[in-house]
Amino acid sequence: MTAAFSVVHPLQVAKAAATTNTAPAHVDARNIAVDFYLDGGRQRVLQGVNLAVPKGSFVSLIGPSGCGKSTLLKVLAGLITPTEGRVSVDGIAPQEAAKRRIIGLVFQDATLLPWKNAIENAAFLLMTADDAMRKAEAFARAAAMLKLVSLEGAERKMPSQLSGGMRQRVAIARALALDPQVLLMDEPFGALDAITREEMSLCLLDIWQRTEKTVVLVTHSIDEAVFLSREVHVMGSGPAGIIETLPIALPPPRNAESFTDPAFKLTQQRLRGLLIESHQRRPA
Amino acid sequence: MSQNALGAASAAARPKAIRRPLPDWVLALGLMTVVTVVWELVIRLFHVSTFLLPAPSAIIRSLITNWAQLASAAESTALEILLGFVLAAITGIVVALVIVRFERFGRALYPLIVLFQTVPKVALAPIFILWFGFDLAPKVLLIVVIAFFPVAIDMLAGLQSVEPSFVALMQSVSASRTKILLRVRLPHSLPHLMAGLKVAITFSVIGAIVGEFAGANHGLGYLIVFASTQLDTPLIFGALVVISVLGLAFYYVVELAERVLVPWAPKFDAHLRAS
Repeated sequence: MTAAFSVVHPLQVAKAAATTNTAPAHVDARNIAVDFYLDGGRQRVLQGVNLAVPKGSFVSLIGPSGCGKSTLLKVLAGLITPTEGRVSVDGIAPQEAAKRRIIGLVFQDATLLPWKNAIENAAFLLMTADDAMRKAEAFARAAAMLKLVSLEGAERKMPSQLSGGMRQRVAIARALALDPQVLLMDEPFGALDAITREEMSLCLLDIWQRTEKTVVLVTHSIDEAVFLSREVHVMGSGPAGIIETLPIALPPPRNAESFTDPAFKLTQQRLRGLLIESHQRRPA
Repeated sequence: MSQNALGAASAAARPKAIRRPLPDWVLALGLMTVVTVVWELVIRLFHVSTFLLPAPSAIIRSLITNWAQLASAAESTALEILLGFVLAAITGIVVALVIVRFERFGRALYPLIVLFQTVPKVALAPIFILWFGFDLAPKVLLIVVIAFFPVAIDMLAGLQSVEPSFVALMQSVSASRTKILLRVRLPHSLPHLMAGLKVAITFSVIGAIVGEFAGANHGLGYLIVFASTQLDTPLIFGALVVISVLGLAFYYVVELAERVLVPWAPKFDAHLRAS
């Protein structure tokens, strides 16, 4: 099973992805460049990024801090318009896709509204997006999503009464309540402790397997990336781009035991090597 | 004594006795009692003239004899405070909302408000008297110009301190600026607003008294000026006591409103502090 990915050189995969010029993938970014204006100066934070995520796939973006992973995610979400290049989500512009509730977003901070309880928070975006939706309907969907993230029974709890992991689960439920086709997650478990992180990884894997959504995950964690993804994109900085794309071949089913699988260890080491390389390439 | 013995016994029973901290009001009342007693003793021991500094007992006597006059004055002052505070709160809230909703106009307005804040408001009192006479209007206006600033600044901070990622989330479902303002920024700003209102209510008391100093024919501030011309120092202190009680009452009404309206606001709680 280790041979399965050693025969395909990652560079070849990256090239293949970059040169596919046919029908756009579910999440498709081509030749993206982003400039930021800081203190009057112009700085290029992303350069020549190509990313193609097939429908129903799970990909991770990993790289050193400040390499532009979050920026890329914001471009995919339509929150930043790229200086150059084209983005499409489900075949349309990301802003349009967001309007049609195709995109669900989860950030590092759960950012729950402290004056609303779990179910009100989970229903909040849905009710904001659709004024015509009746409260009962939004709540029913929010309740179903809270159940999906194993928060049944905590619906009436206020955010201050929930643990960090539970709050993040509410944030995921809030994104899922929109019933998006694409889930964009920016270090969703970054602020959680190691054990909670692992729990949340399992929870996310479960959700992905059940709902078959397309997921793009920005993460710092090698384990998380390997465990969850079909494909990991390693990013480098100055200006940032995807330097390697690593397909992940773990024997199914993926579960808590996958962490001890030899293929997991091997992929983990390979990814570690790539990340170290990416760090060394960073401008001082 | 027996209480000490009891304490020792229970301390022996448990390895370390956890004592519940005394409530703040007990401590405050205790300190006040001590200060009052020392004050009374100093006046009596050193035979300080009542004209210079009356003893607490003399102040209480004055409070009783002049009760009707004080109550009527307190009523006028309370009305000024209440009207001024409400108008100051509305002004502050509206200014903050306008600055946030209309960004460019807000950027123009904000420095002017800060500039206005540097004007000593007390100095405006004679001008307001000149414009509006000796009635309610100049006092209310003075309170508004003194007390709207903390409301506007705190409210503004509350409106602007919504996490950027939450704003991004709202934008991702194409929520308009007004929608974000009403559904997220406004409720998010309420704890900040309440903090501003607490400052504003104390400023309102100051504004009312200063307004009455500058020119009035009733109210507690007027009573103080009147009593000083009569060399009735105990009455001056009596009026001060009534003003303090009035201010305290108003303050706790605002605090009560905070507890009811924004239960999620971080509280300064004695028990949490102790643990």
